[in-house]
Amino acid sequence: MAAPVPNLLRQEIERLAADDKRIDGRGRWERRAVDLEVGLLYNAEGSAKVTWGGTVVYAGVKFELRTPWPDRPTQGSLMCGAELRPVAHVKYEPGPPSPESIELGRVVDRGIRESGCIDMESLCIVPGEKVWGVMIDIHVMSDGGNIFDACGLAAIAALRTAIVPAERFDVGEDHVLGVSSTPIMASFTRAGGRFVYDPCEEEELGGDERIHITLGDTEHLHSLQKGLKGAFTPAEFAEILDVARKHCAELRDLVASKEGN
Amino acid sequence: MSQGQDGAEQRLVTPGAAIGPATGRRVGTGALIQGDQIIATRVGLVRERHGTVSVDPVASTYMPRSGDLVIGTVVEARSNLWFLDINGPFQALLPMSLAPWKVEFGGTRDHADINDSLLMRVQEVDEVQNVVATMRGIGLRRLAEGAVLLVDVQHNDTLRAEGAALLKRLRDLSDCRIVLADNGRMWVDGEDAGIDWLRSLFRDVAAAGRTDTLNSIVEHHAANAPNRGEA
Amino acid sequence: MMGGYGDVQLLRDDGKRLDGRAIDEMRPVEIKVGVLPAAQGSAWVKQGLNVAVCAVYGPMEAHPRKIQRQDRAVLDVRYNMAPFSTGDRIRPGFNRRAREISKVTAEALESVVLLERFPRSKIRVEIEILAAEAGTRCAGITAASMALADAGIPMRDLVVGIASGKIQDTVVLDLDKAEDNYGQADLPAGICPNTGELVFLQMDGDLSIDEYNLAMEYNYKAAAEIHEIMVAALAARYDGGEA
Repeated sequence: MAAPVPNLLRQEIERLAADDKRIDGRGRWERRAVDLEVGLLYNAEGSAKVTWGGTVVYAGVKFELRTPWPDRPTQGSLMCGAELRPVAHVKYEPGPPSPESIELGRVVDRGIRESGCIDMESLCIVPGEKVWGVMIDIHVMSDGGNIFDACGLAAIAALRTAIVPAERFDVGEDHVLGVSSTPIMASFTRAGGRFVYDPCEEEELGGDERIHITLGDTEHLHSLQKGLKGAFTPAEFAEILDVARKHCAELRDLVASKEGN
Repeated sequence: MSQGQDGAEQRLVTPGAAIGPATGRRVGTGALIQGDQIIATRVGLVRERHGTVSVDPVASTYMPRSGDLVIGTVVEARSNLWFLDINGPFQALLPMSLAPWKVEFGGTRDHADINDSLLMRVQEVDEVQNVVATMRGIGLRRLAEGAVLLVDVQHNDTLRAEGAALLKRLRDLSDCRIVLADNGRMWVDGEDAGIDWLRSLFRDVAAAGRTDTLNSIVEHHAANAPNRGEA
Repeated sequence: MMGGYGDVQLLRDDGKRLDGRAIDEMRPVEIKVGVLPAAQGSAWVKQGLNVAVCAVYGPMEAHPRKIQRQDRAVLDVRYNMAPFSTGDRIRPGFNRRAREISKVTAEALESVVLLERFPRSKIRVEIEILAAEAGTRCAGITAASMALADAGIPMRDLVVGIASGKIQDTVVLDLDKAEDNYGQADLPAGICPNTGELVFLQMDGDLSIDEYNLAMEYNYKAAAEIHEIMVAALAARYDGGEA
């Protein structure tokens, strides 16, 4: 059941927007505090926890040995999935994966895959016979708004700190997974008629359109996704993209600061 | 905090913890008698007053009682009644006959539409938690302006203590009209600066949880209040 | 579970266990409450390398109507292991083990929650295992009772989940992964720390009556220790660190 959005809340968000303010006191392009921890889960070969305002997500990396696809005998594979289980919010119901959780997983997956940060050839052990399958699972524990950015950050941080468990599979020595760049997502939602960065829960309640942008190290675009009803102009997008560049760079530094510990 | 409890310092207890012997004492909320002991059923602060031992919980959900003042959000309008979310386990039903307006059958949405906020009283709660609300009464109305803030119900007693001293102080400092409902919601209306100040204050209150920190949070925010004149 | 016991060395010559613990010593336990802002109540329990996190929502109207009880609330408990919580990745979705653990956990908690206060309601208890190193059901029960307390749901007592077992014909407290895999018995229990009542009990393997009694004695000893950690965790959240 969708939560009711009181008209008073809608009016309030519009009133604040007219004043260039937000319901949680932030500026329009301001981010909430983000905390990143890595390597905290036994059994995951790479793991990360992101606390982003009231949002909490975990990501874990697992490896498996598999036979490569016949048309790509020297390439391993990457799979990224997200689960929006009922633990994360009263609004999520138990049951098979919802369209929302599938979209979430696929948007994060595309940002990482298309950035080319993982060289699929490097996952090959014996051409045509044995390659690594890398699986990232994202577990949303608390949805306090903007789970997309939190999931994207957790996934790339878990990957960049992952150790390939070669010894356990008897195929050589354990080694770090080579991840050559750090794609980062930045999300925007229309609230009170204008776009804001990093929407909080109340700002998402309105159900107006959102835009997710994944930028790589060289500020190339790697994934875009427009979600929910609504439309936007090229000028609005240009403005958003500029904001995204700044925040993606900051968060990339945050990931880098957790590596090699 | 000063609500007339006998002891000066309040003790934090957890579910199952023995509070003391049951002989000669009654139990209030958040406690029960097991054998010859009073035990806590909630995490909270022990309070003893006129021979009744209770636990003021640090976290609480709203359970409606007859006579409560509540702010509801319309979630469904039928031909002759409304259903409202009142922040409790069950929706409240507001029949056409208890509305303050002259409503034609089928015309409920002309008076209160989906997502409108209404200030109501709980008329009746039956033994299986069906809730009937009324808008017949002084001050009960549709709330067309202002903002609704979330204020966990365990803070209500503190806000209303000593002739609602703290609420009065908040009204003075914010220059806002404030209606504290019983269901974890507070309606505020006034200048933008006052509303924004109250919202930021109650965000800190929600993060703290405990109700005996309320006064100090208010004092902490007082320096930035819209109306710092002698309150 | 009891594969090939007897042939794996689990006790050292000095009588200690492989990880250096004494036979009646539990793994370190850490607990926090209020860890998930979106939930009404939440708790995080780390026991050894296990990590269990629980969120509580409700009471809310029970849906569908046929699950409603006219005289009390129902507890809707889900125990779930994250895909990355185990050695080999677990595929998300239904599994029989999780379903059974959810059921017995619900029944354990039903014994302490004052359900009669909330007719026709349900209370959702969502347990997520993020890292598994033997003993996750016990960590899950501890986390669930803490999250219920944090949510302000009235209860007669908390519940501590703890297990003892048998390795190399020796009764030991709180089996780790290797001990669970190669041991001879596992006895997980849910203990009410104040009343001493048992609200959850399972066992598999082979124990004499005397061994059972000793294992249970260890469980009670550990439950008292874990209870102190639980109370301290609630105090840290609500009382500035002092109980």
